[in-house]
Amino acid sequence: MALSLTVNGEKRTLEVDGDTPLLWVIRDELGLKGTKFGCGAGLCGACTVHLDGQPVRSCSTPVDLVSGRSVTTIEGLASGDELHPLQKAWVEHGVPQCGYCQSGQIMTAANLLEHNPAANRDDIVAALSGNLCRCGTYSKIIAAVESVASQDPVDREGA
Amino acid sequence: MTLNRRDFLKVSAGTSGSLVLALSLPGCSGIQTGFREEEGAWKPDAWLELTTDNKVYFTLARVEMGQGTYTGLTTLIAEELEVDPAAITPKFAPVAPEYRNPLYKLQLTGGSTSIATSWMPLRQAGAEAREMLILAAARVWQVDHSECTAFEGHVRHPNGVDALPYGKLVSLASSETIGHDVSLKPQSEWRYIGKARGRLDARAKSTGTAEYGIDIELPGMVYAVVTRPPRYGARVRSFNSSDIEAMPGVLSVLEIERGVAIVAGKYWQARKAQQELKVEWDNADALGVSTSDVFANYHKAADDDAGARERDDGDFAGAAAGAERILEASYEQPYLAHATLEPMNATAWYHGDSMEVWAPTQAPDLGRIAAARVSDLSPDDISINTTFLGGGFGRRLTQDYIEEAAAVAYSLKTPVKVIWSREEDTRHDLYRPAMLHRMKASISGGEVTGWHHQVVGPQILDWYVRNAAPAQYPWSPKFLYDTLGKVGLMAEGIATPKDISAIEGAIDYPYKVANVEVRHTRTDPGVPVTWWRSVGYSHNGFAAETFMDELAHETGKDPYEFRRALIAHQPRHREVLDRVAAMSGWETPAPSGRARGVALFQSFGTYVAQVVEASIENDGIHVHRVWCAVDCGQVVNPEIVRDQIEGGIIFGLTAALHGEITLQEGEIQQSNFHDYPLMRNYELPEIAVDIVDSDETPTGVGEPGVPPVIPALGNALFALTGERQRKLPLKAAT
Repeated sequence: MALSLTVNGEKRTLEVDGDTPLLWVIRDELGLKGTKFGCGAGLCGACTVHLDGQPVRSCSTPVDLVSGRSVTTIEGLASGDELHPLQKAWVEHGVPQCGYCQSGQIMTAANLLEHNPAANRDDIVAALSGNLCRCGTYSKIIAAVESVASQDPVDREGA
Repeated sequence: MTLNRRDFLKVSAGTSGSLVLALSLPGCSGIQTGFREEEGAWKPDAWLELTTDNKVYFTLARVEMGQGTYTGLTTLIAEELEVDPAAITPKFAPVAPEYRNPLYKLQLTGGSTSIATSWMPLRQAGAEAREMLILAAARVWQVDHSECTAFEGHVRHPNGVDALPYGKLVSLASSETIGHDVSLKPQSEWRYIGKARGRLDARAKSTGTAEYGIDIELPGMVYAVVTRPPRYGARVRSFNSSDIEAMPGVLSVLEIERGVAIVAGKYWQARKAQQELKVEWDNADALGVSTSDVFANYHKAADDDAGARERDDGDFAGAAAGAERILEASYEQPYLAHATLEPMNATAWYHGDSMEVWAPTQAPDLGRIAAARVSDLSPDDISINTTFLGGGFGRRLTQDYIEEAAAVAYSLKTPVKVIWSREEDTRHDLYRPAMLHRMKASISGGEVTGWHHQVVGPQILDWYVRNAAPAQYPWSPKFLYDTLGKVGLMAEGIATPKDISAIEGAIDYPYKVANVEVRHTRTDPGVPVTWWRSVGYSHNGFAAETFMDELAHETGKDPYEFRRALIAHQPRHREVLDRVAAMSGWETPAPSGRARGVALFQSFGTYVAQVVEASIENDGIHVHRVWCAVDCGQVVNPEIVRDQIEGGIIFGLTAALHGEITLQEGEIQQSNFHDYPLMRNYELPEIAVDIVDSDETPTGVGEPGVPPVIPALGNALFALTGERQRKLPLKAAT
């Protein structure tokens, strides 16, 4: 079937079976290889992308559900040559080891900070616990996200 | 001595920092060195390439799977070449004899050996290239070369003002010969080693641009999935080929040695077709054991056969006969999967007289053997393009996924990518072997007088020689591959060291006990096994360091003081043990509701002591803190050392808390991360790592963080509950 979706701000029309997971459309039809296949069951988070601003597991999202909607992948996170602040923090903190999970980690973290710019450690851990890292980079992931989270403490008690 | 750069140099350390160079046979060298006019590039050796436009390329002979070779090895050569590591572009090595790991005589990355085996050769290569550039500049300026210096990609004139960039010198340098010893820089002049921070691959891996095996894209490429037998060793009897061929997108259905491959234009079409595939398996040679059989057989084997004596100090039998008390315990560890986050995959393209393979592999020369076996080609006709690896941990030392891609590509003649699902990756792994350990200690006068460790289980090399033997002897005709594999002579004690995979960490029991006996009862249940991050140390560490804890309690001693008294003769062990005790505040009680456990273990030449603080809350084990002191000799990149040790701790805790692969009548019971869980972010303890300053030769860091954390946690749970757990994974309630 032919369907249209917007990926990283660009409208794309494709001929693809509607039950194909969004992941394989992004990777193999659109050639955006930064989004990774890890488990195919929404358990590891390596395939996380933003769908209309919400993080979803693209391995478990049939592409026909995405028709007419807007998808952002790791390749769409930077503004031109200017990396997203989280990507900069990832480089500065030297977060990745094998690196395979990191696109998913960054996409999840980016969504967290968009909705909660002053996320504290507990918020970060809760948000990122759906993303597995076999190399065990968790403490650096937390540190990198903390470094980007707003330095102005939100008065949570008074909120 | 005058050196011809076209010769292959073997380098070893001489006295006082100078180098002793020895020529060895060039063999079937594949790497052309020298200056190539048309490309404006000079290859002084197999690793470096310097261009007239000031670019520096470095061929990385040890793959990057997260452990940091991309940064660490580049740092070594950069230091002596006098170029910022960040200004060097690493490239993954093709298969060539120059790139073999000298310890294994194979081009493989494993055993936490990359820094240790590259420490001298790469610095030497950097130093010699630098020296040739200096000689060239000195010739241009007509000055004494010994008064010229190199800095940041330039050679500086003795006047301290003029300088020439390397790019201007490469052509001249290529014809220089070094007529004197080249000294390595003294440690006091290091600019990058021991100081480097960050990783050279961090940007690519934070922007989605790092290319892994699964990301390879070729013109006209198709996709294949393979259905393998649920029980290892079964063979295809029949399958509904015509049904599958009629499905949308399916191009081909073919039987290969490892199962049934479905080829389709798109990956998802192949997967959907696979759901309709019905294979009848011939189970005549299929594995039929259940986990309970494995352990029952281990116990029987241990009863029937005391095993090969692998270490025998003093007289354990005599000590036991005269002892006041004998303490005995047995420990069991399950099969474990590697669970690399990038599932197995490979892409192959058969061209008729050659084949090209792209794969995330830890052993590209073995990948060639695997591809040769299933095609009409010889290994020399096959090239392997290694990518970044989405985790390795030993899994990618076995080339079954390359074999599958090559078999399909050979049949199709078009480029094909084989991708494993997570379920396939879990069920068709080669596992960390399940093991049994029987421990005995004799005690007299409150002291341990004897230690007896019987290791029961298989030997990994038995599973590996099939690919490894022909790779070491590439001249052997293909029809001999299986024989070489079966005989395994090449691998056993002759071409490579004796396989100690089952007993490493047991035979090197470090404590000062007069009578030590270690035996291996070799028994193989037929379940495929291979190396898994820290290998034999992963299970022997749990057995030895848990039993040490039992002995401490049995003799009424503090577990730290008990170890300390028995390790006084081993200063590096003792230093890390003392440090971790200080870091963790061992002398002060743990916070209410928590308890601490300690373990001390050397593996891969690296000394590691750890203290774990844990509690049991809401029926779950909570690991709150881990303190770790590590001595890995000289440190090339402190940040990567810390990352590797911390990652190792998390890998070990994952095994201790969650890791268990089970079999039911030959079938693996687990499939994905819901039933083979990995540690998640919310389970992360606070981890502190202290690295000992050292002038010793560097040793490995990829694996040594794993073994001690498992017994340290078990020992903490004993301190908490008074119940000793002798079986992994650990449980909150026993």
